[in-house]
This record gives sequence, structure tokens and C-alpha cells, in this order.
Amino acid sequence: METVTNQLVSIEKPEIVAPPDWQPVIIGILCNWCSYAGSDLTGTSRLQYPPNIRIIRVPCSSRVDTWFLIKSLQTTADGVLVSGCHPGDCHYISGNYFARRRFLVTKKLLNFVGFHENRIQFSWVSAAEGPKFAKVVSKVTEDIKKLGPLHLYKKENFEK
Amino acid sequence: MDYTKQIQEIATRLFAEDKIDVFVGYRLTGFDDNQVPALIRESKDVPLLVFNQKSVFNLSNYLKNDHTRNKRVGLVVKGCDSRSLNLLLTESQVKREKLYVVGIACEGVVDDAGQKMQNCLECMVPAAVVYDELLGEANMERRFIINADIQDMAAKELVQRREYFEEVFENCIRCNACRHSCPLCYCAKCCIDQETATLYNGANTTSSAFHALMTWSLHLAGRCVDCRNCEKACPSHLPLHLFHKWNERVIYENFQEHLAGVHEGDRGAFYKYSMQDPDDFIM
Repeated sequence: METVTNQLVSIEKPEIVAPPDWQPVIIGILCNWCSYAGSDLTGTSRLQYPPNIRIIRVPCSSRVDTWFLIKSLQTTADGVLVSGCHPGDCHYISGNYFARRRFLVTKKLLNFVGFHENRIQFSWVSAAEGPKFAKVVSKVTEDIKKLGPLHLYKKENFEK
Repeated sequence: MDYTKQIQEIATRLFAEDKIDVFVGYRLTGFDDNQVPALIRESKDVPLLVFNQKSVFNLSNYLKNDHTRNKRVGLVVKGCDSRSLNLLLTESQVKREKLYVVGIACEGVVDDAGQKMQNCLECMVPAAVVYDELLGEANMERRFIINADIQDMAAKELVQRREYFEEVFENCIRCNACRHSCPLCYCAKCCIDQETATLYNGANTTSSAFHALMTWSLHLAGRCVDCRNCEKACPSHLPLHLFHKWNERVIYENFQEHLAGVHEGDRGAFYKYSMQDPDDFIM
């Protein structure tokens, strides 16, 4: 069967011109058992990663309701990163399998209505992968910097 | 496709045998050939019932109001309506023993202009899957999923899609008619109405419409049966089916061809998982 949903076109050019001192705001939603411990390890190993990420700790990646992502994009964030345990490592046995399905549909839908796919990113980071976490955050920050500030559907644009 | 006579016979019989308290079907509006849902409580009103290709509404929506709750109900369902009924049964919203379901092997309904509805052209399950009695041929041909407008939209550039949907969210007046007309939106207190959720309520802005419609369509992802009650109810004529069709298509392609409500006991796509689910979008 031919696939339609995997062929979305995404542009690379910035949406609006960023001020010279602009720094992106990235909301990082991390699972308590793997990714949060992983980010902790990154810090204790004294690895550098961009300070643009604001970390929120949740019990499990399946705790991440889809409107966490929508609300983040609608208020302050220029991008969202959700990180959880690798498949098979979930503290609650199967939480990240459920989360994976929701993430795919949310990402595709937001891309469909006009958000660049790099604005919503996901990763699996275990508690032992400090260097990987630093790499992931660097990559996400770089991607968002290329895209520029997000202005789409921002709440403050519509309130007087 | 005209089952008026058969449905009237069935309703008369059910009232005579005292099997139901109320029969939910269609009747004419009285001033044109369009139809509205009818709740028939006595056998003398049965001649009002009609059923033909103008019977567009999904009647399983009427199982959640005070007129039908905790009562013995007779119900007419087409293919898509029976799928949402199946989901309501699976999600413990309706008791099967209180229902008498008249299934229809549907050949497609028409819109106001007399054209066959788009969702009927793309229908995957035309015959009812839950029924006590089936009118028409049970083994109807399953049409291949086309999703023409989804394909057109997906072929567009990101900027074009963004401009198109910005206009859609701008035109939304936040009346929540889509939610009320949806058979699968049965929560007594909707998350969009939470008093603390300041992003949802209050001002009617493009931003809040974006938030409400996205949340709504994601709550229906993997459950929506494409009956298009929401689109018929929308006073701004928003193309709400685009979100649902898109989600349905994503889920159909990626999650083992899942279709909502076709099998009994099958919950939405987000209530189960598989080891083969795609993982390539995750770093």
C-alpha cells in the first residue's frame, strides 16, 4: 500500500528573522527513571550542553499528555524535547511503548498543521548515557536555532 | 437504499412486544426532504420514521442523553454508526442488553447538494458490524481507502499548509458543537471546560481554537470512525475531517492497519502497543 503520511514536505528556511541576541527556549520533558538520571550524569560528568533547555521531570514518558506539547509550543517554547527509557527498559514495563504511539501521531499531526518536524523531538536516553544526552540537546538546540523563533499560535499574540 | 417500511415494521413489532421504551430513528424535517433524528416513544408515532440516502446523522450520539440513558432503546445504525456504537460498548458507556440494534448495510448517504458524501466514497466498513437485525446485504464490498483530500493536503509545502490551517483556526468560534455532536465525546466534564485550564477557555482566539481542536482531535485519534457528525454540526463549515482523517491515516499506515471499532472489544489505537511500532523518528 502506498504511504501518504511519510511524505510531508518540510522547509528549512527560518520562519521569521531572529533578533541577533535571540536564544531558543526548549522545554525538555524527561522521564524520572532514565533520562532525568541521564541528564544528572551529564552534569556530574562535567559534560557541556546548551543551557537553552528547561527540564521538567515526569514519572514516565507515558505521563506526557499530548497537550503538554501543544501547551509548550503555545506559550514560551520554540521547541520541545521528550525523552524516556529505551524500549524494554521502562520502569513501568510498557509505558514507553504506549508513549511511542502517541508521540508519532502528535508529531505527524502538528507537522500536518504547520509546525516544522524538528520543533517536536523525541529521544531514548538511559541513565548511563550522559554523553548521549549532551549530544541530543546540542542537536535539538542547533535544529531550533536554524528554524528561528516560533510565532505560530502563540498565546500572547492574540491577547490584549 | 430505502428501508422506511422495514424499519417501521420493526419499530411497531418492538413496541407491541414491549421490548423498548424509545426508538431512535430518522424523520423528515417537515419543510424539505432533509431528515432529523427522531425519538419515538409510542407506537402511534412510528409512521413518522423514514430511512433513505438522506439519513446522514450518526444516531449513536443519542445514546448518551437523558431520554435514552438507562432505558431500553431501539436504534438504527449504518456502518460507521455501528463502529462508534461498538466503541461505546467497549468503553462501557452503553449496555448491550438494553439495546435493540437495527443494522443497515449502507450504500452511502448524500449531502445537501445530492452528491454522495466524501466519507461514503472512501468507506471501509459499509455494513453494520453490531446488530440484532440486518437490513440489506451483509457481505458488502470493502472499498479501498483513498483519502483524496488528505493526499492533496500532504502534497503541499509546509508554508501552504500552515496558511491554510491558520485560517481554519481563525474561523473557529469555539461553540463546541463538534464536541457535542461527537458520539465518542461523552466525558461529563470535558478537559476543554476545566476552570483552571486558562489556555482553553475565556477568549475566543486563534490560539485557543488551535489548542482546543488539536486536543480534541488527539483524544479521538484511533477512535474516530469518520461519521462526520462534527462537520455537519460546525456553523463555520470548518474542514474538521482533515484532522481526523489524517490521524486515521497515520494510525492505519503505522499501527498494523488499525481501524477503530470494527472488532468487538477492540479499544482505540492508543490503548495497546506492538513491538513493531515505528521507532525511526526517535533519536
